[in-house]
Amino acid sequence: MKFIDCPPIGRRALSEFVYGGLVKHEPDHENVSESVWAEHVFYRHSHPQIQKEWWYHRPTGMWFFFERDTLTDVIHHVSVATKGYANEA
Amino acid sequence: MPLRLLKYAWKSPEEELRFFPQEKPLEKEYDVVIIGGGGHGMACAYYLAKEHGITNVAVLEQGYIGGGNTGRNTTIVRSNYLTSEGVKFYDESLKLFDDLSEDFDLNIFYSTRGHYTMAHTDSAMRTMRWRAEVNKHHGIDSEVVDVETIQKDIPYMDVECNGQHPVMGALYHAPGSVARHDAVAWGYARGAQMRGVEIHQKTQVTDIKTASGKVVGVETNRGFIKAKKVISMVAGSSPRITNMLDIKTPIEVFPLQSCVTEPVKPFMNTIVVSGSLHVYVSQSSRGELVMGASVDPAELHSTRSTLDFVEGLTDQMMDLFPFTSRLKIMRQWAGMSDITPDFAPIMGKTQIDGFYLDSGWGTWGFKATPISGKTMAYTVATDTTHELIKPFSLDRFERFNLVGEKGAASVGH
Amino acid sequence: MKLRLEKQPLEWIDRSQSLTFKIEGESIPAFKGDVISSALWAKGLKVMGRSFKYHRRRGLLSLANHDINALFQSVDYPNIRGDVVSAEDGLSLTAVNTFGNLTRDAGSLVESIAKFLPVGFYYRAFYSPKFLFPKWESLIRHMAGLGKVDTNWTEERKHKRYHYCDVAVIGAGPAGMSAAIEAAKNGVDVCLIDENPFIGGSLDYQYVNESSLESVRDNLNQTIEEMPNITVISSAYVAGYYGDKWLAVNTQSGLIKLSALSVVVATGVFEQPAVFRNNDLPGVMNASAAQRLIARYGVAPCGEAVILTSNPEGYRAALDLRKAGIQVLAVLDTGRPSHDWYEQVSDLGIPVYKEIQSIEAHGKKQLHAVTFQVNGLSHTLDCDGLLMSVGWAPAGAPLYQAGGKFSYDEKVQQLLPKTLPQGVFACGRINGVFDIYDQFKDGKQTGLNAAEYALNQTLSPCDVLKSPTPHSHSYPIWDHPKGKAFVDFDEDVQLKDLKGAIAQGFDNIELMKRFSTIGMGPSQGKHSNMNGIRILAKLTGKSIDQTGSTTARPMFHPTPVSHLGGMRFRPERQTALHHLHVGSQAKFMEAGNWLRPEYYQSDLNRQACIEAEVLAVRESAGLIDVSTLGKMEVFGPDAANLMDRLYTMTMSNMKVGASRYAVMVDDTGVIIDDGVAVRYSENHFYVTTTTSSSDSAYRLMQKKIVEWGLDATVLNRTGQLAAMNLAGPNSRKILAQLTDLDLSNEAFPYLAMRQTQVLGFDATLIRVGFVGELGYEIHLNASDAVPVWQALMAEGAEFGIQPFGVEAQRLLRLEKGHIIVGQDTDGLMNPFEAGMPWSVHLKKPFFIGKPSLAKLKSLQKRKLVGFELLVEPSNGDSDESPLESNLIIESGDIAGRVTSVAWSPNLDKTIGLADVTMEHVELDKLIHIKLTSGALIEAKVVPLPFYDPDGKRQRPEELLEGDVA
Repeated sequence: MKFIDCPPIGRRALSEFVYGGLVKHEPDHENVSESVWAEHVFYRHSHPQIQKEWWYHRPTGMWFFFERDTLTDVIHHVSVATKGYANEA
Repeated sequence: MPLRLLKYAWKSPEEELRFFPQEKPLEKEYDVVIIGGGGHGMACAYYLAKEHGITNVAVLEQGYIGGGNTGRNTTIVRSNYLTSEGVKFYDESLKLFDDLSEDFDLNIFYSTRGHYTMAHTDSAMRTMRWRAEVNKHHGIDSEVVDVETIQKDIPYMDVECNGQHPVMGALYHAPGSVARHDAVAWGYARGAQMRGVEIHQKTQVTDIKTASGKVVGVETNRGFIKAKKVISMVAGSSPRITNMLDIKTPIEVFPLQSCVTEPVKPFMNTIVVSGSLHVYVSQSSRGELVMGASVDPAELHSTRSTLDFVEGLTDQMMDLFPFTSRLKIMRQWAGMSDITPDFAPIMGKTQIDGFYLDSGWGTWGFKATPISGKTMAYTVATDTTHELIKPFSLDRFERFNLVGEKGAASVGH
Repeated sequence: MKLRLEKQPLEWIDRSQSLTFKIEGESIPAFKGDVISSALWAKGLKVMGRSFKYHRRRGLLSLANHDINALFQSVDYPNIRGDVVSAEDGLSLTAVNTFGNLTRDAGSLVESIAKFLPVGFYYRAFYSPKFLFPKWESLIRHMAGLGKVDTNWTEERKHKRYHYCDVAVIGAGPAGMSAAIEAAKNGVDVCLIDENPFIGGSLDYQYVNESSLESVRDNLNQTIEEMPNITVISSAYVAGYYGDKWLAVNTQSGLIKLSALSVVVATGVFEQPAVFRNNDLPGVMNASAAQRLIARYGVAPCGEAVILTSNPEGYRAALDLRKAGIQVLAVLDTGRPSHDWYEQVSDLGIPVYKEIQSIEAHGKKQLHAVTFQVNGLSHTLDCDGLLMSVGWAPAGAPLYQAGGKFSYDEKVQQLLPKTLPQGVFACGRINGVFDIYDQFKDGKQTGLNAAEYALNQTLSPCDVLKSPTPHSHSYPIWDHPKGKAFVDFDEDVQLKDLKGAIAQGFDNIELMKRFSTIGMGPSQGKHSNMNGIRILAKLTGKSIDQTGSTTARPMFHPTPVSHLGGMRFRPERQTALHHLHVGSQAKFMEAGNWLRPEYYQSDLNRQACIEAEVLAVRESAGLIDVSTLGKMEVFGPDAANLMDRLYTMTMSNMKVGASRYAVMVDDTGVIIDDGVAVRYSENHFYVTTTTSSSDSAYRLMQKKIVEWGLDATVLNRTGQLAAMNLAGPNSRKILAQLTDLDLSNEAFPYLAMRQTQVLGFDATLIRVGFVGELGYEIHLNASDAVPVWQALMAEGAEFGIQPFGVEAQRLLRLEKGHIIVGQDTDGLMNPFEAGMPWSVHLKKPFFIGKPSLAKLKSLQKRKLVGFELLVEPSNGDSDESPLESNLIIESGDIAGRVTSVAWSPNLDKTIGLADVTMEHVELDKLIHIKLTSGALIEAKVVPLPFYDPDGKRQRPEELLEGDVA
């Protein structure tokens, strides 16, 4: 049982959220090599670290970014998911 | 009274052969270093010594023997998998399990109970039949049974499930068993040590050193150890090890939680799993109901407990077994599951010469303990991938050649 | 009631209300407020249970919720703790796990062979010869376990509640009460939780006779009662501390999930027994248990007492006993006392033996005498009570679970909190504070800190108040060559067992626990872990801190499944048309959370009903409720772009007013969903998903809009809209009665979509072909669905229209070779393998999973094919019919599996889909299906669809140029 402080919607129970995986950039489909694509699709760098993740808030239908420490489960930063994230460099 | 106990008339247990001899000083070099003193690591050491005569081996364990997932799982052993690769591999494991007590001269309480996987939907029924057909084709005792059969064998189960998601049938796997998990690790550890293997507890590997693409040794909290062959058998800690060598894997780590009730007089003889309700249960020889569910929803490298888990589990458990509402949960705990995208392990050689990987065990590691030890020992000793583990190579993902175990999602305990 | 005392000043019992319960048939009188154990003891029944392994007689130990040896069962519950469960009128109990009863237990024979059953004996035997193990195992299981389960017990479920406060104080003893008051005085909301029915804690049983504390006690009680911002939750314990200061508080009426901003742990300490020969005889108990017995229940622990002590508490117990009129024969001190209580005890003429060197208890069925040594001289005292006051262990579970760290304090000889997480505080004896006035003070300063933390203020400094002298013996353990010195009373673990375990190499705390089972019983080591650590440390020559301790995981006390599970809540969704289906005798099936008609029942059997529905669709008209489909509206300037990116087919070139099959794959190219997409306008689409994936598909769409930064919105209208499919050659005639829309082929061709009115209600019509007949899918507001369904049925009556269910639809679509995602596909199947290469538009610049599909196209290893049986199974013999999931076997190897199969009444043969390896996909190829019986039957690979291969029936018009896939 945990609480998350989400900027626009206030303090919310973690049970209202659904984990949506790591935030990462998708390689350009046109020029991607098979190995780079395989790495994108399958490989993880999942040693303990603070990582940026997608979390979906079911009651509001909003996606958030959590910066979460996968060793301690402490959520260090929460923001509304950035629109156009995939287009950023 | 078994004859083996009569000796205690003149002998105190302290005079018994020690399970674990006094730890020897850590040497500067070994032929093989095994990272991880759980069931897999100990089994690998055991078979290296017993079957390949390789005894200059150190097993390095950051905590204590069997303290990771070996001591945290719910001890179910079965071979009713979906793919031919899985079935063959786990069937060999079952055969080894069956003889372990006599091999070890130590009772691992390998107890064949029969294993039911309940289906609550017609699609689950199709999956059960699929598994049964694959199993039968490989000579595994596995069949789909109807509700009447279930009711006859487990009369105390509410097949109506409180009026929602009723049980429609089940996959029954007669060889499904439970074993005393600690004893498996201890038996392998003792057997390995008797043959000259060294086990070093509270010894943490902090780095793996290579030179021109080859392993040369490991850095530990107790100093550097030279070794040309290093095997990682660390389950939930796998990414921390592969990270040392920049080896990319598809492993994600999720907590898997379990709990037990207060002991009650044994009444439940079978192992019951329900994929739809995300519960599985068996009763230990101590009388506790040992229960678990699916992995936690988000990646985490921790063994913390949550209330959500125990709330969800008990809620669903009462649907199947209404009378358990009068029992009490005594203790809960968690392990870290290293899960792959195709729900099959990653085993064998890696791109680094001399570094071998045994990982991706998800929630199935315990039942693979003997066979993974044996096949990894073969692979390391001969530097040739054992036939049974060829489908589980790390590079299968790059080749888009996944193992079909994910074909039908089901709780895999 | 031979041991009942005169009324005690703070007793919990109500002597005006008598009651009677039964133990193994014997009537036990009790007062309201008695626990089972106190009533039994009052009657002189000191044997309350039989021990787990040796079936030795056991009595009281703690009277503090860890007396596992006083465990009972009733017809309703298995493991009833005598030391905390109230004696109820009419209750009938037996002791758990006896082979006979409390008086005569055949299980005690085990003790006579105890020599042969050393620690871990079961690892050493029973496995050879292998075939005998099941027999031994059955014997072991017969001996194992505690209370009996009655599998006929009905389900109990209790409500859960949520509660929020600023400061939660766990434990309402002197420190906890002071903390609660101080926090509350600073204006925060406080919850004060205590496992006893009354607050007070040790103040009310260890300090009953301290007259100087009377006014302090009254003041604390009154203040707590009067302060509006203190909520007392009594008869409740914190089962677990879970992340972010959530406490699972178990009460008798159910679980409270309590969220606090700061937490004060004032749980105190558990008294620890001494370890010596026969320390388990009834009559040997913790001094605090004796004090509880007297103060709470007015029951004498014994007639003649000897007190073994290492701390001032033992002397205070002596004074309490004396005050209650019990003879104290001697105080045996393990050291040299230097406190005031020693003087007080001596002044009363009670002999005090100092620096005693060993101790041993005697007695057959209960305690009769104590032998001890002082200065090498042996003394024996006849007595029926031996009270142990040798030390304490922290009740630290909430602190451990919060991530706190403990360290051994040599001054106090106790584990004390060393580091605590922010916002978690400890005070009182758990903090090593033993002086009662210091406990008030510690509580007060900690309560202030907790309030400050909750208010986001700087924390005031605190004084360290821990005791300057030890309150625990560093090694209260006296070995005896003949053994029977028990460390863990739950598990019957003796000192010699631990020595044996350590000698065999189980020499760290976790391994020792796992091998010896110390601390694994229902009390989870509350009275045994500390002694276990001391023994291990001593025998391995390590310090307590080096030895470490095992983890204190939840639950603090075993917690009922009925409380943790709570009320049953499973959503069950019904479509807007549900009651009409009920009226039409629908047989329902579950589809995700939804209920759907499987088929409609009549006088015919199931198969015949389904076939009748199929024939109605093929020959005239049928109507199916498809409201459970996910229904998404997509709009905005980037709507077309979004649709292109989500689905494998190009959607942006779809004409307004057209529809198209929509299949979605994941990053790895695996099919995850399919449906139908329509285009309302340039920037407005509507798309369906499968029933089970409506939530996940919606979530994914929203995520991708954000991720790709598109100017598009997706609206999940699944529950808001209803949908039905009117299909069959007469469907047009029927629908024409309800709409003004021109339904002619020219005006409304196959795969077209029209927005119109049906029966005056706004509706979207789609010319679909899933079941392979002329058909119209009608999507409309759920509130309008009932009249439209009824009108269609009424207009269709003359044509013999039939409602049809999921089973008929499955067969109809199979005849057309259409897949069902999740049935014909598995968790790894891509569109090429599903036989739908046409659905993958690799020329599109971008869609989810495109690079994977580009790769997988050349790696195809299997494919879905249609097959028909060469020889039909003899009628009615289901053993000869293939079933879904039967395997395809070629040359002895698995070459695939049947994913769908059925006998088609229209084609008069058995048809199916099979997922086979590429060697077997050619048309007319013979494949072999292995039946469940093991027999192989032959089938032939045939082209799809099986029925109406040209699609003339679903588009009886001339083929028009359109958006045909």
